[in-house]
Amino acid sequence: MNKLPLLFTGILIVFGTAWLGLVAYPVSNLGHLQPLDDEDTAGYFPPSVSGLAVAGQKVYASAGCVYCHTQQVRLDPTSTDIAKKLGVRQTVPRDYIREKTAFLGKRRIGQDLSNVGTRFKEANALHQYLYEPATVTPWGKMPSYRYLYKLTKIVSQPSADAIQGLKGPHAPPAGYEVIPTEDAKALVAYLLSLNKNYPLPESPEPTAK
Amino acid sequence: MNQPSHSSHHEDTEVRTLSNEARAAIDASTRGPVILFLGSSIFWLVIGTFLKLLADWQLTIPTLLDCTALFTYGRIEPAQNNILLYGWASTAAFGAGLWVTARLSRVPLLHKKLLTSAGIIWNLGVLLGTVGILIGDGNSIPGLDFPGYASPILLIAYVLIASWIIITLRQRQPGALFASQWFIFAGFLSFPWLYATANILLVWHPVQASAQGPIASWFLENITNLWLAPVAIGTGFYVVPKLVSRPISSPSLSVLGFWTLILFGSWTGIGSLMGGPVPAWMMGAGVAASIMAIIPVLSIAINLHLTLRGKYSAMSWSPALRFTVFGLYGFFFSGVLATLFALPSFNAVIQFSDVVAGASLLSLYGFVSMTFFGAIYYIVPRLIDAEWPCVKLIRWHFWFALSGLVLSVSALFLGGLLQGFAQFDVASTFRSSIEFVSPFRFLAAISSVLLLLANLSFAFSFVLMLLKTGKSESGPALLNEPTENSLETLAV
Repeated sequence: MNKLPLLFTGILIVFGTAWLGLVAYPVSNLGHLQPLDDEDTAGYFPPSVSGLAVAGQKVYASAGCVYCHTQQVRLDPTSTDIAKKLGVRQTVPRDYIREKTAFLGKRRIGQDLSNVGTRFKEANALHQYLYEPATVTPWGKMPSYRYLYKLTKIVSQPSADAIQGLKGPHAPPAGYEVIPTEDAKALVAYLLSLNKNYPLPESPEPTAK
Repeated sequence: MNQPSHSSHHEDTEVRTLSNEARAAIDASTRGPVILFLGSSIFWLVIGTFLKLLADWQLTIPTLLDCTALFTYGRIEPAQNNILLYGWASTAAFGAGLWVTARLSRVPLLHKKLLTSAGIIWNLGVLLGTVGILIGDGNSIPGLDFPGYASPILLIAYVLIASWIIITLRQRQPGALFASQWFIFAGFLSFPWLYATANILLVWHPVQASAQGPIASWFLENITNLWLAPVAIGTGFYVVPKLVSRPISSPSLSVLGFWTLILFGSWTGIGSLMGGPVPAWMMGAGVAASIMAIIPVLSIAINLHLTLRGKYSAMSWSPALRFTVFGLYGFFFSGVLATLFALPSFNAVIQFSDVVAGASLLSLYGFVSMTFFGAIYYIVPRLIDAEWPCVKLIRWHFWFALSGLVLSVSALFLGGLLQGFAQFDVASTFRSSIEFVSPFRFLAAISSVLLLLANLSFAFSFVLMLLKTGKSESGPALLNEPTENSLETLAV
């Protein structure tokens, strides 16, 4: 331990094994996964997503959603994620190939979002939730994302884009409406695209107990 | 106070071959860059703790500053975390690592101007990265949030700074390498490897997202295990023997602790992805490594205890020793808990709860920060001709830091356990997991006020120190009257 080159080589080798296993291995073995054909519908799994949803990933990253929301349904039965209906099966590497960044998350301050697209049926409900979360879930800790929306005066006719059903303290006064920005539309398109209920052979649905 | 000749230092050779003049020449050469690094690290510490306070309160009061994008929780949280990682802990690691390396290598630093410029570039990189997160350019990869235009600046500055460590080590006076030097050397080698790999594969030219999980967790865990931890331990293993005038007790335990820390530490990150989208063998390897990581934790803690045996009383008067020893025992506690939390049945319960936040606070503040606080209390009086001016500020720093740390870590652990059980229990709703944890998050938010007060006292003390209000003739700033002669003389 008294010669610098020996110490250097030793550190390189020891640290290098972890690098090979945890960095080089995933890059070469998990970094080139392809979507799988679906014989029934002639589609692909995971299905491709719209350009707007891809743009929404950037908004998701920019707002830091990952600091409160995971996007992973863990293995059954060591975890209870599937029993708690976060998804019908465990998420596997192939589920993330449509993403630029894997937003796996480290804490569940808010709900897991792996399948949030199956819980919200249409864009307005999500817009309403992002604009005034406290009105929908008063017990929740999600901040409002009002900065993604514009309060505008109604000129002649209400806009088709305007969010319906707002009733919280920031609901628009009479004669005004709340219009989502492009970022808000992209974010909502992305969230609605999150749906991992399609089948993948490497992740069979656990059989009911 | 005893004379250096009475003390049986592990740096016997240093004492023998290094005159006071030579030591003064080395300290004079490190003064500029080291004060720059330590000073800017304390600046970032204050900014980071302030943003952490805001983020912690936002978890309790979600409407707090929710009117603008700039202050949304999803930006404040990564901003504080990255500031504390890169602005505070890493910058302090540069200062402490450079100083200890120059002292133990017994050579002055050369070409200081280039080193100082590298330090300024590093700080500009941290500033640019922070602004990037706040305006929405962050990557949302924990610990790697600085946007792709800021991280190359950090990497370039880093390579320049680390070169000085290597050059200084290569030019060292003939003689054995001390344990402190191995640890610091390993840390400075690991950082560029970690940071370049993670930035290339996740930010600059991202690989398919299916492969990103293991890489991101490898990076986040190792930025502590292989960069901050070795430098903090290396610094602690210099400061403690100096202050108790006794060499590190067991060289073989040092060797064991060193190699097992690199070996097992580098594999532990994957534990946070248990049950997630990674191959099963990786999870197995991660759990095994996390359990084996108890070996370096125990060997370093036992070695520290043997070195301190019978000398613990010095902690009551020496601020440097008090902070350093608390910090190194923080390493022990966070290491033991990390092993416990890695057990699969337990991990499934707490994996996504506030326990995770408590564990990372214990590691970053309880271990790394406390150790660097101790190092800074030790180093600065030796660099500038002054003593810490106000004992009361040091005392505030310590008690606010300790109480804030104990309160917030226990609150996050207890609240996180309840939250985790609600997250795990099939019959419990998600709402109940939030309701269980909320009162504990309030306690954690209160304790982050204590941490801010601690760090403000420290920063104020440092500013007074730079203004040289403490007279060196009055002797070192001691927290209590020493009861025995085990403090080294000032010249050392």
